[in-house]
Amino acid sequence: MKLGAFEELVLLAIGALGDDAYGVTIKEILKEKTGKKPSIGALHSALYRLEDKEFVTTHEGGATAERGGRRKKYYQLTSYGIRILEEANELRMAFSRNIPGLNLKTQE
Amino acid sequence: MSPINSHLPKLADKLLQWILPDHMVEFIVGDLEEYFAMRQEKLGLLRARLWLLIDVISVCGSFAFKKIRSNSNYRTMFKYYFKLSWRNMAKQKVYSSIKIGGFALGIAATLLIALFIRDELSFDKHYKNQDQIYRVLNESTHPEHMERWSAFPPPIKPALENEFPEIQSVGRLINFDWFDAGSNQFRPIEEKANIYEEGFVYVDPEMLDILEISMVYGDQSALDNPKSMVISKSKADKYFPNQDPVGKQIILNENDNSIYTIGGVMEDPRTNSFFQFDFLITLKAEEFWEGEQTSWGSWNYSVFVKMKEGGDPRQFEEKLLVIRDDYIVPYNKERGDQRADDMAKYYRYDVQPVGDIHLHSQVTHDNLKHGDIDTVWLFGAVAFFILLLACINFINLSTAKSANRAKEVGMQKVFGSVKSEIVRQFFTEAFLYTMVSFLVAVGIVLVSLPFFNTLADKNLSIPFSEWWLVPLLLAFVLTVSFLSGLYPSFYLAAFRPIQVIKGNLSRGAKNSKFRGTLVVFQFATSIVLIICTIVTYRQMDFILNKKIGFNKDQVLMIQGASTLGNKAEAFRNELTRLSAIENAAYTSYLPVDGTKRDGNSFWKEGRRKEDKGVGAQKWRVDENYLTTMGTKLVAGRNFSADRASDSTAIIINESMVKEMGFENPIGQKITNSFEPTFHVIGVIEDFHFESFEREVGPLSLAYGSFGSIMAVRFQPGNTDQMLAQVKEVWDEFMPNQSIRYTFMDDSYARMYDQVNRTGKVFTLFAVLAVIVACLGLFALSAFMVEQRGKEISVRKVLGASTTQIFGLLTSNFVKLVLIAVVLALPVGYYMMRSWLSDYKYHVDITWDVYVIAGLVAVFISLITISSESLKAGWMNPVKKLRSE
Repeated sequence: MKLGAFEELVLLAIGALGDDAYGVTIKEILKEKTGKKPSIGALHSALYRLEDKEFVTTHEGGATAERGGRRKKYYQLTSYGIRILEEANELRMAFSRNIPGLNLKTQE
Repeated sequence: MSPINSHLPKLADKLLQWILPDHMVEFIVGDLEEYFAMRQEKLGLLRARLWLLIDVISVCGSFAFKKIRSNSNYRTMFKYYFKLSWRNMAKQKVYSSIKIGGFALGIAATLLIALFIRDELSFDKHYKNQDQIYRVLNESTHPEHMERWSAFPPPIKPALENEFPEIQSVGRLINFDWFDAGSNQFRPIEEKANIYEEGFVYVDPEMLDILEISMVYGDQSALDNPKSMVISKSKADKYFPNQDPVGKQIILNENDNSIYTIGGVMEDPRTNSFFQFDFLITLKAEEFWEGEQTSWGSWNYSVFVKMKEGGDPRQFEEKLLVIRDDYIVPYNKERGDQRADDMAKYYRYDVQPVGDIHLHSQVTHDNLKHGDIDTVWLFGAVAFFILLLACINFINLSTAKSANRAKEVGMQKVFGSVKSEIVRQFFTEAFLYTMVSFLVAVGIVLVSLPFFNTLADKNLSIPFSEWWLVPLLLAFVLTVSFLSGLYPSFYLAAFRPIQVIKGNLSRGAKNSKFRGTLVVFQFATSIVLIICTIVTYRQMDFILNKKIGFNKDQVLMIQGASTLGNKAEAFRNELTRLSAIENAAYTSYLPVDGTKRDGNSFWKEGRRKEDKGVGAQKWRVDENYLTTMGTKLVAGRNFSADRASDSTAIIINESMVKEMGFENPIGQKITNSFEPTFHVIGVIEDFHFESFEREVGPLSLAYGSFGSIMAVRFQPGNTDQMLAQVKEVWDEFMPNQSIRYTFMDDSYARMYDQVNRTGKVFTLFAVLAVIVACLGLFALSAFMVEQRGKEISVRKVLGASTTQIFGLLTSNFVKLVLIAVVLALPVGYYMMRSWLSDYKYHVDITWDVYVIAGLVAVFISLITISSESLKAGWMNPVKKLRSE
């Protein structure tokens, strides 16, 4: 199953957010980490695909007044989703190690 | 949980509901609301709203096609419907092709007629000031001669201009053979050779503006100078290629009085306009004889007006009576005309919108070629009926085949289909059939348009470039498929599954009555059309072969003979010396269209103030006319060149004798008020010098040896050789003008083109209707044979002969056709009687017309059903029974 670049970012965001991953928070964290504002359409479209590919599960809840009484849809990584992320990361690392002079240290 | 509040506009909300997958709408809209709340705090209401809008668009864009792609029953269902329909169609090739073929023929006929009607209706609808342009007509409401005519006396123009403030401008038009109007020998003054041209008219300079004629060279003032002329673009290209001909001079008929200067070039007239002229000669300062322009006595001018904006044509029409009361009646009274009183009573005016000239000018004498609104209606009705026949075929064939589909419907229902789904499936099928038929029909139209154009004397084409064409045709397809799918769909969908699957279906028997009715309708329509065809052909035959009082065969009309001038007599002598030539007469007046006419009023000498005049034609002919034309003298003698007194001699026809009330016509003196008194020297048999639509009227022949036509009677035999000889003689006399001739019988036949054309159109449609009906009948009979296959086999095993089987299978259908015959006869009779009543001289509808029509119908239907019936009769019964 393929994972697109933007889909990977969204998946990472969902994992990072833990229990609080829904449309608005995902968009906020993406904006914070990448510095770019994703379009809402693209985001939801990606979420829809991720759900369809079963990388995430969802549950509903948490209606608030500012949402006009509408519920939120919370996203959570599935074990399959986690594995897909690991595979993507591995692939990238395997490639990167072969590139001389590439700085692989990550800053904490 | 229902939403509490919403900042989304209703429309946006609806859009999202429609586009987004159902399980995501709530959450996405929730997110949008949350963003809105956040932004409202940070950015303010206005910008938050703006962002909301952008987000909605962004979401919609991302999800636009998701719904259809993934989770749509519609798509799957329609795919399935189409697949099933297609398989059904492909499974039964003969049956499907009959269904499609019949349908396509019907649709093609409808399309052709629609094109025809569109063209007829489009005549003169293109003016910018459409509702300001009118033609003024005279109207006689006298019960004995109700008619309209377009010609007015010349002073009508100043009278209208001076007395009617609601009129912006007035223009007159002369469009019949009169002085230089009509046809002429034409040449630019610097050329040598004359070329025959038609389409000359006299017009007032104002007509360029009134009829919104657009100019290529020159402007709207092109006709303001006396003796100026405007020619059409194509004629300008012909005579003055690649140059601006304004200022060039041309001469007509080698006549020094007919030298004109070209003042401008106009665009070629559009084909869908009454105005089909190539040479416009100005009426500016033109006066045809002394006092003509101010006389209320010579009626030659058609009148067009452009009203001021907001002018009321009906009021204008009422006010126009002033012209009658102040000018025309007083003029006639003053001259002692007894008709003046009748005029005041039965004479009025009609203000006709320019757009009505083409289709609404029945019984109007204006020398223009018209369409006829009745023909448009008739064609429309025929198209409708043929389309109906095609739809009926579809319905009949679909329900007849229902038994084969019943199991399918039963299974679908058992598996949970509801009625509406099955109805939808059959509608899809109807649509598919219609669509395929329609494409075939467009193909047929493209192929047959040239033939149809010849038949209808039109120049039609499919308007592919119009934006409305595709939507219109699509709407047409949808309507037709709806109409033809309606009954079969509901009929088929109503099957009860248990019964069907048990095999208890009544096999369409209940429905056979309905089908029978439809077959009767189809054949009745076909038979009516067959009757129409026979009657129009008989009328045409009658017109062409009736004794018409002159011999139209073997007469050559050499046109343009007026340019011979004083060489005419020598030319005639030279011609008659040829062995193939019997006789030749020099005249302008012949009993076929396109030759000169001269209407006069005649009184007995000295009774002009006491009697009403007799309206009669006065033709100038020479002493050879009667022998050349083969017209019989019943009393008196012919003209003689040797008697000087014959210059005032006149020969009248029997109809005129009756009208004048002469007991002993020979020697009587008659006068037409402006020429010397004539004395009658002979009486001729009535001959048809006008169309068969009118009774033979009074006609008089006066002596004169001048004319534009040399009528030559030749002997039967080698026509080509005769023509070559005549041409040789002509070229000797007129080296600069090529000979132009027509045969009189051709010209005569051309007068009845309309009848001929109507006959051909009826034939075409009758054939189409019969084909469509027969296709249906064929499929029905094939179906019936299939249904009763086992019964027939059992009968054969038990000893039935082929004849008996044949009789059994055909008798039902023949019965239906006979009923159709009975129904069609009165309809056909009624229709044709009203058509024939337009002709003063016409054939009677005799009983054999019905017999022929009926026999044709029965015979054709028998042939149609017999192939299947015979097949059934000859079939080896074992084959059918073994498979049980």
